[in-house]
Amino acid sequence: MSTLSGPISTAKDALSQAVQSHIIPNQEYLLQGSILDSSVEHLLHRLKGLCDNVDTGPEPFHDHEVCMSLRTPNQMALQLRVRRSLDCDAPHQLRYIGQAELGDRSRPTLVRSSIDVACTSTVMDFLTELGCRVDFEYTNRGYMFRKGRMKITVSKIFKTGSNKPGEMGPEPISQSYLVELSVLAPTGQDAIGEEMRAFAEQLRPLVQLDKIDYKRLG
Amino acid sequence: MGVTVLQPYSVPEGQTGPQTIEFLAKRLLALGAVQASTFIVDCETFIPNPQHGTPKTVHVLHNSEYPASTFAVLDTGTKQVPLVADALFDLLMLKMAPAHTSKKQTKIESKGARFEYGDFLIKLGSVTMAENFKGILLEVEYRPCVIPSNCWELIRELLQGFLGVSIPATIPPYFNTPSIMSMNHPKSSEIFNPNHTKQNDVYQPMDTINQYLEHFGNFRKQTMLSGGTGIGAPLRS
Amino acid sequence: MSSVEISVEAPIEHQIQEIAYDGTEIYQPPLTLSENLSKCAARIDFSKTSLEDLKKEDDKKGDEDVKDPTQLQSSLWPWDSVRNKLRDAFTEICVLSDVLSIAKEKRYLVLDPVPQELQDTKPMVQVYARKKALSQAANVLMSGAERLRNTHSEQRNNRNDFHIELLRLRQNWRLKKVSNTIIGDLSYRTAGSKFMHPGTFEVTKAEEDPPSDGNSPSSSPAAGAQPPCPKANSALRVNVPSELQGVAYIKVITQKDQEDLCTANVNLMGHGQNITPQVGVWQKTLEFAQNVLFCKELFSQLAREAIQLQAPIPHVVVGNQIRATLLPGIQLIISLCHSTGQDPTPPGPINDHDHVLEHSLHQLLREVHHKNTHHPFPHPASGPLGPSKKHMLAGPMAADRHELLEMSKSQTLLEQIISQAQHIFMRKRTQYVLDTLARDVKDPQIVSHWNLMNSPTMSCVKINIVTHGYDTINRTSLVIHVKERSLKCICRDGRVMHLSYEPQELRDLILCQINQHQSACLLNLAKCMAWQVLSNSNHLGIGPVEPLGNASSCLLASPNGDRMIAVQIICDPQIDVKVYIARSPRQDFFPSPLVPGKFWEHLGGHFKEVRFDKLEGKNFLNKMEFLMASLTSSS
Repeated sequence: MSTLSGPISTAKDALSQAVQSHIIPNQEYLLQGSILDSSVEHLLHRLKGLCDNVDTGPEPFHDHEVCMSLRTPNQMALQLRVRRSLDCDAPHQLRYIGQAELGDRSRPTLVRSSIDVACTSTVMDFLTELGCRVDFEYTNRGYMFRKGRMKITVSKIFKTGSNKPGEMGPEPISQSYLVELSVLAPTGQDAIGEEMRAFAEQLRPLVQLDKIDYKRLG
Repeated sequence: MGVTVLQPYSVPEGQTGPQTIEFLAKRLLALGAVQASTFIVDCETFIPNPQHGTPKTVHVLHNSEYPASTFAVLDTGTKQVPLVADALFDLLMLKMAPAHTSKKQTKIESKGARFEYGDFLIKLGSVTMAENFKGILLEVEYRPCVIPSNCWELIRELLQGFLGVSIPATIPPYFNTPSIMSMNHPKSSEIFNPNHTKQNDVYQPMDTINQYLEHFGNFRKQTMLSGGTGIGAPLRS
Repeated sequence: MSSVEISVEAPIEHQIQEIAYDGTEIYQPPLTLSENLSKCAARIDFSKTSLEDLKKEDDKKGDEDVKDPTQLQSSLWPWDSVRNKLRDAFTEICVLSDVLSIAKEKRYLVLDPVPQELQDTKPMVQVYARKKALSQAANVLMSGAERLRNTHSEQRNNRNDFHIELLRLRQNWRLKKVSNTIIGDLSYRTAGSKFMHPGTFEVTKAEEDPPSDGNSPSSSPAAGAQPPCPKANSALRVNVPSELQGVAYIKVITQKDQEDLCTANVNLMGHGQNITPQVGVWQKTLEFAQNVLFCKELFSQLAREAIQLQAPIPHVVVGNQIRATLLPGIQLIISLCHSTGQDPTPPGPINDHDHVLEHSLHQLLREVHHKNTHHPFPHPASGPLGPSKKHMLAGPMAADRHELLEMSKSQTLLEQIISQAQHIFMRKRTQYVLDTLARDVKDPQIVSHWNLMNSPTMSCVKINIVTHGYDTINRTSLVIHVKERSLKCICRDGRVMHLSYEPQELRDLILCQINQHQSACLLNLAKCMAWQVLSNSNHLGIGPVEPLGNASSCLLASPNGDRMIAVQIICDPQIDVKVYIARSPRQDFFPSPLVPGKFWEHLGGHFKEVRFDKLEGKNFLNKMEFLMASLTSSS
């Protein structure tokens, strides 16, 4: 709101200032794991007990995500994700996720840079016209929990597009739920990692939250 | 939120830009308008690096009236795709830097004082491109109304009143284009009604941005035509 | 492993066979090798396993007999015993093989396992071991019995079990064990409070006898000042920190020139009434302490805001009191009353008990708590936690500066309570003005309908001004929005007037409305009576200057035009009506030098005042109707 009274400053100046003073949350701390469908109820129960807002219960969500990449010759492809909520009226989310840094053993979580931009629904058109190609897309449906700054999602991933007319509902990708524990924080707040590890410890042995190395998964 | 109309104002012969703006500001103050801080609208244009196929330029604009937003317009030559996003979109543009580069010399902005006059909001903008003064762009917003055709006459009257020039009675050509709503509709060709133009639609902040883009484009063209020395040249839009 | 080699051999010294009386020792000659072998062979105990039945008696004789038979037998043949034993063994082996073959054939015999009796070796050791084990078991039993006896006597003393009480406590309060003490938590932190006070209490076992109460380390002087457990029959004692003991409440007073207008007491102690009898007295103690904590948090929050807020008339915080100016001359006093005295009885019921302000203060802090813990979730789920839905929409929906400013605005607790108090005050004032006017002005009736349940800072009143018996002729209605410091009046013709908090303004407005109502009714009535309205003015502009604008007037003419009525309605503090009548031409005309012809009489003039108060009729319109009717009929 500094633009209201002070001298004219461009939006870019204000943004670069914000970036320099580390107030923009652009680092995502992440732990992932999975749990079989049969035991997900137990996990939900435990999360209900552990997380904030015991009275209101978990928040359901149903999202659709499209992963696109912008390829340029002799450059690494830029991956962008567009996510929209299917169950409530909210802006689309354009997201850039950087390379995941696993770090050594002492580092409790995976860290990756992340830029979240809420935008209008024209974003798909915009990116397509810009030359982005769709890599893959999926929908996921599940529950969200929060504990302090931590966000825990337990969701099932479904395929999209391959829905044959006779089939009932979307086809799940596997027989298990994806469990993610994440915090979006400004640069340099590594202390949160320990907090996350301690929380993940409490979910054992139901689910083992870990740093997942995508490169190894192939 | 209301309806905004942009109006270029040509600098009279023998006067400099700042002089003209000061003159207009004095008139506004004399009318009883109150200055309420300042404003800035800037526009940066990105062009794709490998020039293959049709050039798809991306214009990224900011308007201090909407401090939380970044506006982007992708121009494919045949159609324009607008995008309104958080201020963080600029960081994302930096990530696209390898694919798109910004042409520094085309960075153009309009800034100046902002006046409140009853239900009107008047902005006196001096347009500069790469630090060179290009002209004057007036922005008039009538806040209680959201349908352009309903308040164009009011805005026109105000403009004529304090500029002392006669303004054409027809609404600016921008408002005669088909509305975005119907264009984005999947069956746009079926439902398109020639009367359903922007002037009869609810005014969106994006409309302000599109008008700025149009006028900025005019200023740029004019610079290219006159070899960068067209200060104070008469403007018609 | 190639270390020192040790050879083990018998000592060289011979065994002493006999010591003579003179002291000479007679040595036994050492055994020869064969003697030694036969002796060793004789020592072999063949009876160890198989022949225990046969050799039992021999074994019983003990070790001392072993030497004698060998020495006896050594004379005849040293190997005799060995041979005998081997023979016995051979016989036995033969028997065994026979038995085995028979058993194996299974034709003649089937072997069944027979429980074997345990061999009681070394009975004395067993006796000792048993004795020891028994004594240990006895000890366990004894200590258990001792403990049982203790708890029994304890129960007899306290009638309550500590652990059952602890269980009940645990069901209602958060407890945790820190080393050897049990610490409880009575803060509102889990509900979203950010108050810095730890809010902990300690749970201890009650001492057995009252005299030890004084010297127990936990019940320090503070506990002595305010006995945490007034009744001794609870086995459990809670020790609340001294600053949370006692009774606290927050008192809100609206004061106008030292005169109390309304008072509210935030006092949560009423909750203690429905304690089930199973729950110990500690429940009450803890609820009181929690109430103290809540009041403290509320007050410290208000005090902090009072200092930070930039009010035109600064708020004053002195000790346990916050003074804020609501309207000129009217003050809001919020004070924290905390009594740690011996008597926990509340300081008498306060007559001006305002449940609304009490509830509001309570609710406001609870709301803050709720907001602290209930943040919206992002949609889509990958979005950041934290920003509200409005903020998430601000970017893509291009919120302008004004909207963003509105978003960032938030009212503090103190501001909210001040505006609520202001509103309550304004509402009372408006009610008072309307009620007194309705009481004083009898002629047009003022009916007000209040709608004040929707918002704590906004209420609405609809006022209808009607004349009894003539409400179909005309009805003047207006709506007043009562806000925090101002009133907004909306008349039926669409006029909107903003009034300040001064009651006189509203009073004047209503009087003007009455005035207009009367003249409008009169005009309508005249139409019904077929009288003509000659002129009508809401602001006469002549005559003496009225405090509230001008009088309104109208001039009516009878259907055939020979009578006229002039009415002047003055709202000079009271509604006052003056009525004049004139008649032209006069019935009795006498020509005079000044007025020679009768036609001059058509000019009118000669208005005569009617003694309106003497006129028949219930109210102004009624009287006017009679007047008009009588004038019409007489013509």
